[in-house]
Amino acid sequence: MDSGRGRRANVVKQQRQSSMRNFYILLGAVAVLGSALLVYNGSRPKVQVTTVDLPPGSISDAEGYRYGSASAPVEVIEFADFECPGCAQWSTVVEPDVRKRIFDTGKASLRFFDFPLEMHRNTLTAANAAACAADQNKFWEMHDRIFFGRADWATESTSRPDKFMASYARELSLDMGRWQKCFDDRAHQARILGNKAQGIKLKVGQTPTFIIAGRMHAGGPSYDEFAALIDSATKAAPKR
Amino acid sequence: MMVATLSLLGLLVALYLTLFKIGVIGELTCRIGSCETVNTSRWSMFLGLPVAAWGMAAYLVLLMLSLIGLQPRFDGSRPVAVALTGIAGAGTLFSAWLTYLELAVIHAICIWCVTSAVIIGTIFLVSVLDLRSVTAARPDADPELADASTSN
Repeated sequence: MDSGRGRRANVVKQQRQSSMRNFYILLGAVAVLGSALLVYNGSRPKVQVTTVDLPPGSISDAEGYRYGSASAPVEVIEFADFECPGCAQWSTVVEPDVRKRIFDTGKASLRFFDFPLEMHRNTLTAANAAACAADQNKFWEMHDRIFFGRADWATESTSRPDKFMASYARELSLDMGRWQKCFDDRAHQARILGNKAQGIKLKVGQTPTFIIAGRMHAGGPSYDEFAALIDSATKAAPKR
Repeated sequence: MMVATLSLLGLLVALYLTLFKIGVIGELTCRIGSCETVNTSRWSMFLGLPVAAWGMAAYLVLLMLSLIGLQPRFDGSRPVAVALTGIAGAGTLFSAWLTYLELAVIHAICIWCVTSAVIIGTIFLVSVLDLRSVTAARPDADPELADASTSN
């Protein structure tokens, strides 16, 4: 009787050990599979590349906001929305390095085009604020401040972004009378929408999008990816 | 076992969102909703750390506790069951608050955050059921089970 109970206990113990072993194998498999998916996602290129037909002169020199020297061998065209999280991330995390090491050294220049998406209710306000700062030659300072403060003035945070824009303008010591009038009149709204129309014509499908040497890169590249694109465009560019 | 498996899944989801938040992953796979809007909003940070990182910590603790609870020595341990229920309960309340923010304040849904909310809610339900069965099977509640547990 006792030995029968002992055998049963042994069988139960073995069954339990076997089921635990299977469970640990399953748990290990989930961990490995999950980690593999994360690694795949992390190593996937962050930009999708398509070729775009952009013959010289198709975008007038007067359009967009330029950063860097107009005589730089490579010109980068950026389409961005001030309220787009990816644009804000690129602008605050990657762009400072890109400016310092690529645009400020004359390797390339940038032209920024507004591409306000309708899903972002406050983006046109931001684009207007930046355009009015451009009248006082402070577009890039305003651009940086707007992107840096995105979490405060974006649609999910406020329905009154104007006061944030005014506070940024004050921080930048703009002539507030001029800036406010321009901002209230939406003096540059037509140009902003014109910038967007340019993007639609080029089939820009997401923000940010960069056009470098006739190739459209949708998404925010890392510094290394961006530098590699500029290097390859420099090699292909005609010598000036 | 179910709690451990769910905790591991939750940990992977939270790790994914944390990697996005710190810039390792450039873009979230998000076929439903607006994951990036939610994960770059001001509510994606809590006490100076990404909300997803807090989630990772919670899931890691839940995973470790549930694995400890599976060891023969802690089989039917009430303190482990109470700790699991407490942490999962707090996590569920926090997730409910975040889901409210998504719906009522941010006006955007992050499918990965909802997945995490479902996972933590399920862990809480399973933990409550487990705690009830552990409490019902306590040695002082049933002398026969007390014998059985000591023989294990």
